[in-house]
Amino acid sequence: MSELQLNGVRKSYGGFEVIKGVDLDIKSGEFVVFVGPSGCGKSTLLRMIAGLEEITFGDLTIDDVLMNDVDPSKRGIAMVFQSYALYPHMTVRENMGFALRFAGVPKAEIQKRVMEAANILELGPLLDRKPKQLSGGQRQRVAIGRAIVRHPKIFLFDEPLSNLDAELRVHMRIEIARLHKQLAATIVYVTHDQVEAMTLADKIVVMRGGVVEQVGSPLDLYDDPANLFVAGFIGSPKMNFLKGMIETGEGGTFARLPDYADARIPISLREATPGTPVTVGIRPEHFKEHGTASLDLTIDMLEHLGGETFAYARHGNGELVIIETKNGRGLKSSDHITARFDPGCALVFDESGKRLR
Amino acid sequence: MRNNPANIASAVLTYGFVGLMAFLSIFPFIWMAFGATNSSIDIIKGRLLPGEALATNIANFFTLVNVPLVFWNSAKVTIFATVLTLAVSSLAGYGFEIFRSRHRERLYRAMLLTLMIPFAALMIPLFIMMGKMDLINTHIAVVLPTIGSAFIVFYFRQCTKAFPSELRDAAKVDGLKEWQIFLYIYVPVMRSTYAAAFIIVFMTAWNNYLWPLIVLQSNETKTITLVISSLASAYYPDYGVVMVGTILATLPTLTVFFFMQRQFVQGMLGSVK
Repeated sequence: MSELQLNGVRKSYGGFEVIKGVDLDIKSGEFVVFVGPSGCGKSTLLRMIAGLEEITFGDLTIDDVLMNDVDPSKRGIAMVFQSYALYPHMTVRENMGFALRFAGVPKAEIQKRVMEAANILELGPLLDRKPKQLSGGQRQRVAIGRAIVRHPKIFLFDEPLSNLDAELRVHMRIEIARLHKQLAATIVYVTHDQVEAMTLADKIVVMRGGVVEQVGSPLDLYDDPANLFVAGFIGSPKMNFLKGMIETGEGGTFARLPDYADARIPISLREATPGTPVTVGIRPEHFKEHGTASLDLTIDMLEHLGGETFAYARHGNGELVIIETKNGRGLKSSDHITARFDPGCALVFDESGKRLR
Repeated sequence: MRNNPANIASAVLTYGFVGLMAFLSIFPFIWMAFGATNSSIDIIKGRLLPGEALATNIANFFTLVNVPLVFWNSAKVTIFATVLTLAVSSLAGYGFEIFRSRHRERLYRAMLLTLMIPFAALMIPLFIMMGKMDLINTHIAVVLPTIGSAFIVFYFRQCTKAFPSELRDAAKVDGLKEWQIFLYIYVPVMRSTYAAAFIIVFMTAWNNYLWPLIVLQSNETKTITLVISSLASAYYPDYGVVMVGTILATLPTLTVFFFMQRQFVQGMLGSVK
């Protein structure tokens, strides 16, 4: 178990900067997930931690030792790749013991560690097979086993579940969470799937355009996003965003939704300037029958998931609003509804996307 | 497919064309095989049936030619040329694809341009070069100019594009140096590419004629292609003996291809599975 720090880390390719100054503190035993859309720099950042990409500027330390110029194999990390990256000409046993062989570990010790990892991951019967004789899930387990045998300080996972089908992905997600508990390991995990991020992480790092947008626990990010991007990225279905305006009037300052007569979101005056346009965010599950604000909408489409229903409804101005309801079985497309919500749950963002508090 | 006249005509044309091509490909082999069993006079008369002179032709061939020496010379030249060409060209192809530099593409294009220079234009400078190094009439002189093959470098670079970069990353994390990645990961993973290149280079080296003809001058150093050529260009050539020699000269390449054809096809289709 080890601590990892990134201080003002930057990465440029020629004149193009892809990582624009990242500061991050990862504590020992923490499960940290880098999440963000494609091209946001999360994999590049992970590869910089691994030593597979040079750091253009800034410091990377593991256990207070500067690692910028240290060889990947000497950083005390192990990496699991999206495509598994198993050596196709070697058996599972050889794949798992390969790094140890090159590190000069005695054969008996290699054998012991391989068997330990095989027991943890239930790979015993597969040890003499080649990767092409394994299923996707088995290959992923071998890739994880190859990381485990090295007893690394930090595990790095680069979108490890992306190549698996939906069912296997859920299964492997649980396996990885179990493994984290069992090994009490420090894990840095990259994914673009926010469900993976929410379910696995102790701490999520949301990235966009080479910049860290917000760092926090999954529920902190969900409940208290710092900006419009994080609010939209975390949560599925995503948060509804409606056009609003800051106004002052009877009872204080509020964000009014001009297109919706009865919807006012009270906010403090500290960060809001009257007359400025804002975006109001409402999560689909925050629509409740007892809400004090309401939106008049027409249902466009319905998704019945059994336990709950997602109604995709539109206002006359064309804005799409997703509503989650437990009582949606009786709804039909083209129904006119009044969706009520608690204004206290709504979030307000200024024009730049910053959260107004 | 319905049996309408258009389809039948199309099938007849297709099979007719394929049959003709097959005949044109196979006929020289049949002629060679039958020729080896006939006397020179019968061959000149155009006899295309098995004859009874096979034993005589073989005996004459072994009398006229120091077969073990000639085959040893050819084998030596071919094995060294093949091994060195594969080693040098695969390293170059790997390097061109994996390592980025500002001048990489320019250098690569310059190398590909050398494919356009006919060997006839290189013969004399090469001969002078070998002469200055005192290598005339040595097998080293035959092997040296062949090992930097632009075509094989091109072939390896194209195939290296299919080599997963994550394997290289995984190997780096596992603690391998670049040369170890090449040796322990790249070479075994790309074995089909090597097999296909091996066949191409082996055949080229074994059948190499013009350059050995210029640079090998004594009978002790001559390869099989030169010996067969000298038999065929004698004042009274015995074509039966020439055919026997040609069959024997063809056997190694046929054997190599026979044993490696699966890898050859895989290598040509794309080597990483």
